[in-house]
Amino acid sequence: MATMTKQQIGGILARQGILIAFAVFMIAFTFANPKFLSVDNVLSVVRSSAILGVMALGVTFVVIGGNLDLSVGSMMSFSTIVVLDLHDSIGPFLAIPAMFAMTLCLGAFIGFLVGYLRLNSLIVTLGMLSAIHGLTLTYSGGKNMDIADKEGTWFSVFGQGTALGIPVPILMFIALAAFLGIVLAKTAFGRKVYAVGGNGTAATFSGIRRARTVFLCYLLSSGCVATAGLMQASRSLGSQNTVGQGLELGVLAAVILGGASLLGGSGTIFKTVIGVLILGFIQNGLLLMGLQFYVQFVVTWVIIILAVWLDIAAKRGKLWSPLA
Amino acid sequence: MKLRNLLAASTAVLALAGTASAETMKIGITQNNVGVDSYQTTYEKAFIAAAAANADVEAVVLDAGGDVARQIAQVEDLIQQGVDAIIIWPTNGEAVIPAVRKAHQAGIPVIVTNSNIAEAGFDFVKSFSGPDNVTQGARSAEIMCEKFTAMGVENEAKVVHITGQPGYTTAIERAKGFEDRLPEVCPNVTVVDTQPGDWNREKSQQVMEAFLVKYDDIDGVYAGDDNMGVGALNAAKAAGREGIIFVGATNFAVGYEAMAAGDYWGSIYQSPVDDAEAALKTAIDVLGGKEVPFLNYFDTPKITQDNMGDYTKPVF
Repeated sequence: MATMTKQQIGGILARQGILIAFAVFMIAFTFANPKFLSVDNVLSVVRSSAILGVMALGVTFVVIGGNLDLSVGSMMSFSTIVVLDLHDSIGPFLAIPAMFAMTLCLGAFIGFLVGYLRLNSLIVTLGMLSAIHGLTLTYSGGKNMDIADKEGTWFSVFGQGTALGIPVPILMFIALAAFLGIVLAKTAFGRKVYAVGGNGTAATFSGIRRARTVFLCYLLSSGCVATAGLMQASRSLGSQNTVGQGLELGVLAAVILGGASLLGGSGTIFKTVIGVLILGFIQNGLLLMGLQFYVQFVVTWVIIILAVWLDIAAKRGKLWSPLA
Repeated sequence: MKLRNLLAASTAVLALAGTASAETMKIGITQNNVGVDSYQTTYEKAFIAAAAANADVEAVVLDAGGDVARQIAQVEDLIQQGVDAIIIWPTNGEAVIPAVRKAHQAGIPVIVTNSNIAEAGFDFVKSFSGPDNVTQGARSAEIMCEKFTAMGVENEAKVVHITGQPGYTTAIERAKGFEDRLPEVCPNVTVVDTQPGDWNREKSQQVMEAFLVKYDDIDGVYAGDDNMGVGALNAAKAAGREGIIFVGATNFAVGYEAMAAGDYWGSIYQSPVDDAEAALKTAIDVLGGKEVPFLNYFDTPKITQDNMGDYTKPVF
């Protein structure tokens, strides 16, 4: 009986290591500052995480499919700048689909290079990180982009609006996470993504068109980036060209923290969401503790590595497991 | 046909350059990262315009794209090209020193623009032309204190401080100027918290949201530039917190507009056009053998809702 219970606990730990790590941090931060768990604070953290979160949803598909995407940060800057510029020239109704179309083209291009030309995704997206940044700067001439009439536009709803007392960005994040969670877990496309990332050769032999699957993953990722750019643009109604710079690392950290394997074939949307929330709450928690910010850089990553270790240790059932 | 025209045109340009080089000054500039923000973009345009307006100047305009290695290579290129003076906007105050020394040893005067290099390199530099960031921070403190005094809260006001990118000289100097000056003019105002906004509006908004949760009572916000100041303002507006006095630095168009709307109190007016023209003038004066002070600051005045009519809206 006693051993049975131990096994059960072990099983739960193994599956939900990252959730446990999340709970531990939340409790610790709440002790440090009781306001941490106040409704206002939680809503504001989730709202600002939503932008990074939406991007992480798309990258989860790419990573499970066995590839990387480092271009999402500069692609998000591109979407943000483009939609802000078009807002004033052709109006928000047309600006949003136009921006989505342009961003999807970028995603399709990357998907083509990685899927059909079979180029290394790290190199392709690293190159695109820089190339898209250049594209954004060329488009804007380096200028900050601002909407002229900030009070009189309905465009602000995606970043600043609320529905049922919940900020719209959070609702969009939840809706997209639920939708993509179902796509990944319950549809044929989702199973193909796992198959291609898990064992590409086996996937080919079972009749899966690998190139097409990889292509679609990047297309989907760029769609998520466009959504994130829309939320970002709508939130501040103005932007620098570098708004998304460096976000690719946060996005990848969240996806990997959620347990997706960089080698492909494993990961879930739900755990990516947990990864996103851990990152958001760590940063906010350290801010509320009033820790000196030079120290925050260090502590943030100490906590992330700690979380990864807790997750792995729970899976293996032991804390200490040197390379044999 | 087209090619022939092109060849003819380029030969003409070469011939022109050949005859011109006898009396003109050839001034090379390597900039930090044009295009990364509107300030640097406007600076470059103003520099090119100022150089073109001066018949005695031939400018070689380069941009390091934020990359130290590229900037060092560009300085070496400029030395090889035999320019008469080099203007550098350092990507990194320490790492460019060896390249600056090389130019100095080659007998080419070096002028640093906008952000100074580290003190170890001062011996190799003729002059620094740029804004005085310590004074800017101090002036922001004065603007804030004057406003608090006018409101009668100078004895209890609480301020939060959002700085630029940690480790960046401009951020450190402005923060120092503000923190040193505020207790001198308003000894009873307290700075309750300081966090970086990384020159980023979105990041600053997040930081301010956390401040608003953490502190029930905030009377003033000092941000290292207007971009971050407006981010903080957005956070306060979203949270419905009114009556907070926002003071920034480097007046941006968004800050100017927020001042016009009555939401944002004041800033420091720093024109990239003045910055670029001052750098070129410093280089010309150095080449002309004039006495130039080592720290050749251009003036960056206070701007508030009260006197903003005297200044045109910034283009960036």
